[in-house]
Amino acid sequence: MRAFGRFAILTTVATYFLIFMGGLVRVSGAGLGCPDWPKCFGRWIPPLSINQIPPDIDAAAFNLTLAWIEYINRLFGVTVGLLILAVAIWAIARYRSNLRIVIPAVLAAILTAYQGWQGSQVVSSGLKPIIVSVHMIIALVIAGLMIYISIQAYYRTAPDSAGKYPKKSRLLTGILLLAALVQVIIGTQLREAIENIFAESPLISSTEVLFRIGGLTFIHAIFGIVIMFLAFVTSYRLLSRDPSSLIWQSGWTMAGLGLLQIIFGIVLFLSGIPPVVRLLHMWISALLFGVVLITYFALKNERSAA
Amino acid sequence: MSPGRSYPKMLILIVIAMLVLGTLAALVVSQANRSRSRIPVLGELTEFELTAAHNGELAGPESLKGKICVYDFIFTSCRGPCPVMAVNMGELYRLYKGSGKIQFASISVDPNRDTLEALNEYAELQRVDDDGWIFLRGPLEKVAEICEEQFMLPAEDLPGGHTTKFILVDHLGRIRSYHDGLSESSMEILQNNIRQLAKELP
Repeated sequence: MRAFGRFAILTTVATYFLIFMGGLVRVSGAGLGCPDWPKCFGRWIPPLSINQIPPDIDAAAFNLTLAWIEYINRLFGVTVGLLILAVAIWAIARYRSNLRIVIPAVLAAILTAYQGWQGSQVVSSGLKPIIVSVHMIIALVIAGLMIYISIQAYYRTAPDSAGKYPKKSRLLTGILLLAALVQVIIGTQLREAIENIFAESPLISSTEVLFRIGGLTFIHAIFGIVIMFLAFVTSYRLLSRDPSSLIWQSGWTMAGLGLLQIIFGIVLFLSGIPPVVRLLHMWISALLFGVVLITYFALKNERSAA
Repeated sequence: MSPGRSYPKMLILIVIAMLVLGTLAALVVSQANRSRSRIPVLGELTEFELTAAHNGELAGPESLKGKICVYDFIFTSCRGPCPVMAVNMGELYRLYKGSGKIQFASISVDPNRDTLEALNEYAELQRVDDDGWIFLRGPLEKVAEICEEQFMLPAEDLPGGHTTKFILVDHLGRIRSYHDGLSESSMEILQNNIRQLAKELP
């Protein structure tokens, strides 16, 4: 079980790198770097020069840099897909009786295959904002499943003793989890709104865009501050009650990421949505969601163990 | 102190990962931006003048200088690819209408049937209501010569065999890119290029 747990954690980390990579494709504008799918300009290895493009594909679409950014995301996606598949096969082979491991593992593998296909829809839709959002949400669900599997494996091998948290802590973490999810959805809506405005008025400035959206920007900001305080309160409660090492780690991470996320949000608003900050803001939201999930499942495990 | 309480390892690892990945991402994004901004100069339009249907005056690259121009070749009674080209051109025209920096120009390859009146009717049909999209007319031989010599595109069997390319010309009258006027993905790229060229505007 120890090796399996390590492998599950490795796969989870790889999934998070993939989420980062996907966001990078988005913010660098490389999503249509390969106009076809799964091949890139009709080739398994993207063309290195314009002469390699088959005559039936418009060569004007070719940009070496963008093609490779998009293609590296696909290659890395396949790699992570294989890792998740390996987790599922391992789980079926060795832990068939442990439904808490085998069910999420199989689910993750199926969802990952679906995600690959959905990625083709992202490309063929010409990066339609809502389809891009669905791609991101599925990635979060997959990451969530991998976290669940890792936690289950961890608590079957960890030397951790259960902490002495009041019952309310888990409820609070659950509320935080829900709030974070809602905030992620609002965030994707905000991104969609921004992208739709840019699609209609391509030469508009980003300050004008946020001004035009108005309400949603405001809701996202206020709710973000609420979540940050909720994260502070939750982590304070957990950290001050002799926590197990996993809860100790995730408590600090929760608070730290909550703070970082607000800072990045403010930077986004004030400095005209710079791409890298946009990417980090998205990534932290995925990480924060993950760490709250870890905390929630950890509390559940420690309570049932106690 | 219990072993787990040493230092918040997870948070520190994440912050380090963010710094490293963020730096890499900044490099990738700037590289991507640079790759997009490299729109080569493919040729330069020398002076030609054709009659603009909406005001009857002569217009050409010289008079359109200062604006980013998108040219195409059409004829109003065309049943083949032209309707799709007109839809695509119309979409672009409406998209950039507010900006005032982009000029669309359709050159008729059938001057015998496309009188100035016919072109104006066609413009109305395409819901053109300002001079952001103009329709140009001139003698057939001259149009064929412009198509071949200036735009470097084939002009055989006019009007039926006219090119379906959209030609993007920058504010200095230089040809920057060709786009398949019938392909949607090509229109996306044309938009990207327009956005990029707009950054070169004084």
